[in-house]
Amino acid sequence: MRYFEYFVGPQHVGVTGNMSYHLWADGDEIKKMITSVGYLHRGFEKLMEYREWVKNVPMVPRICVPEPDVNEVLYAMGVEELSGLVPSERAQYIRVLVLEMARLSAFLFYFAGAAGALGLYTIPQWTIGDRDYILDRFEELTGGRAYHIYTTPGGVRRDLPDGFKSRVQETMNYLKKRLIDYDRLMFENAIIVKRTKGIGIIEKDYAMNMGVTGPNLRASGIKADVRKDDHYLVYDKLDFDVPVVGDGDIFSRIMQRRLEFDESIKIIEQVLEMMPDGGFIEKLPNPIEWKVPAGDVYVKLESSKGEFGYYIVSNGEEKPYRIHVRGPSYTHGIQVAQEKIVGMRIADVAPFLFSLDVCPPDIER
Amino acid sequence: MAIIIKILEYILIAFGVAILGLIYGGIGRKITARIQNRYGPPFYQNILDVLKLFGKRNEASHGVMFDLGPVIALTGILTSLMFLPLGSSTPLISFEGDIFVLFYLLVVSPLGMALGAGEGANPNATIGIARGLTMMLGYELVLFVSIIPLMIHYDTASFYKLVQMQGTFPNWNFFPFFLSAFAGLIALQGMMGLQPFDVVVAPHEIASGPMVEYSGRFLGLLQLWHAIAVIVETGIIADAFLGNGGAGWFILKTFSLFMIVIMVAAIFPRFRIGQAVKFYWKYPLIIGLLGFLVLFIWR
Repeated sequence: MRYFEYFVGPQHVGVTGNMSYHLWADGDEIKKMITSVGYLHRGFEKLMEYREWVKNVPMVPRICVPEPDVNEVLYAMGVEELSGLVPSERAQYIRVLVLEMARLSAFLFYFAGAAGALGLYTIPQWTIGDRDYILDRFEELTGGRAYHIYTTPGGVRRDLPDGFKSRVQETMNYLKKRLIDYDRLMFENAIIVKRTKGIGIIEKDYAMNMGVTGPNLRASGIKADVRKDDHYLVYDKLDFDVPVVGDGDIFSRIMQRRLEFDESIKIIEQVLEMMPDGGFIEKLPNPIEWKVPAGDVYVKLESSKGEFGYYIVSNGEEKPYRIHVRGPSYTHGIQVAQEKIVGMRIADVAPFLFSLDVCPPDIER
Repeated sequence: MAIIIKILEYILIAFGVAILGLIYGGIGRKITARIQNRYGPPFYQNILDVLKLFGKRNEASHGVMFDLGPVIALTGILTSLMFLPLGSSTPLISFEGDIFVLFYLLVVSPLGMALGAGEGANPNATIGIARGLTMMLGYELVLFVSIIPLMIHYDTASFYKLVQMQGTFPNWNFFPFFLSAFAGLIALQGMMGLQPFDVVVAPHEIASGPMVEYSGRFLGLLQLWHAIAVIVETGIIADAFLGNGGAGWFILKTFSLFMIVIMVAAIFPRFRIGQAVKFYWKYPLIIGLLGFLVLFIWR
């Protein structure tokens, strides 16, 4: 039997970045798919072995473009754990603030992708525009918009500027107001519901077996969140819910992010209120001669895409011996996508891939 | 001599309609941009685009049929234009039964496009063509069902007579035949290939479908085709339901219809192809058939 063969990517709006999917279809039904990665491979893990500990700080954010802070915080947490540094409480609160703001901006990116894949082109324009308000706050705090290079081992590079808290609160208020429009146009849109309900279902057991994490896992009905289950930073002091939608289809995954968006705003508001005074960075050794004590450590946290982990090995030298990055996209974008896409219609390919929230650079780290 | 003047007149009209269609498109882009919180390009951007495309060389071709596809598409729509009364003016060709010919000619353009794009053998184009021809089964039926009550009521199959007989403002067909008009409006959305019925181009799914292999002058021809199609398609609904009137009124009516279509497109995602055809065969068709009731009550 000869199948109809076609490609989504690497230059295609139907894919979340520089990645390619090779598809075989019988009529309108997908029979087989092979992912093709390598368009972004820069060998981050290997490059990190050739740089001093502190020089890796500007490199790690490149591993996930839409949400770079996750990598910075993880790297810092790993190095701190190896070298016995404990960042001040204020620094930890600032890190949570940065992580949650990055999460919001990643979710806005996600809404843009998901709505665009379904043909609703107004939402991408709105959300990417509104994301810029978050980037404005980032620029004010860190000096950078997309990549921040703000979190370093020992704390954060700068303290909050004057009046920053109130401006973040203003941005949050604006986003809350905009969510009403998003709801009406996207999340309650009858055609979106019709297009996405019951399509691309990832069952509970399958998700567990495949190692699906994050919002995708919660969308499949399993309540698991690293922020709750395995506290890091100051998440144990914050009050927030972990919503679980539970149907496992494309619509559930989109709605899961929508519900988590509210929770992230809640966390940011609490952080702004509870943030204590104090120093923002610990005293660090001379960065060029800094030898992190030998040992190995695995640190993990909850990103907007799923569980992100860093395995860091030090042999007591100026440079890391080995760093392994465990991103969620490898599982979601390759194994799960390849298996679950079989039997789907051609029209559902892009919404399905976008619903998984794949970030190709973290597959090819 | 008279025939030469008529031909010259038609060329002038075709040229004007193309410019008008391009400006409509440009304003449409501007309006969409404003809905999306953007500034958008200037209203004459589409004219610049076409001029630019015609200034380009065509290096790539996939065979004679590939080159002829856009020509057939443009010819099809230009021929349709001959049958369309622009307001109260007499169309170039008018006879009893020309509505059928007009509807028949409307299919020529997509078929030309299908022949051309099919020769390109790009899988995205092939899927787009398959979708386009399937989609036609949906909206053509609804469009026809919405026009037939008018033909029965006025006892004519001449589009020009149909427009002339309905008169001006309060006597618009829209008021008695509002159900048919509504069905026609939904069919218009599909004819124009805009959301929720933009399954043919669907950038995220099939990378702009049939147009994917076209560039340069051929793309310019296709844009011209699209521009004229905007006027012809809105013109059919405007003529059938929104009364007759001068050229100015015709422009105003077609523009208003175009705006409705553009605004609906800005707030809807796209159906899957199966859902789109099913939708047409369900609600608009039922509404269109209910339009016949009006006819029987009125007569």
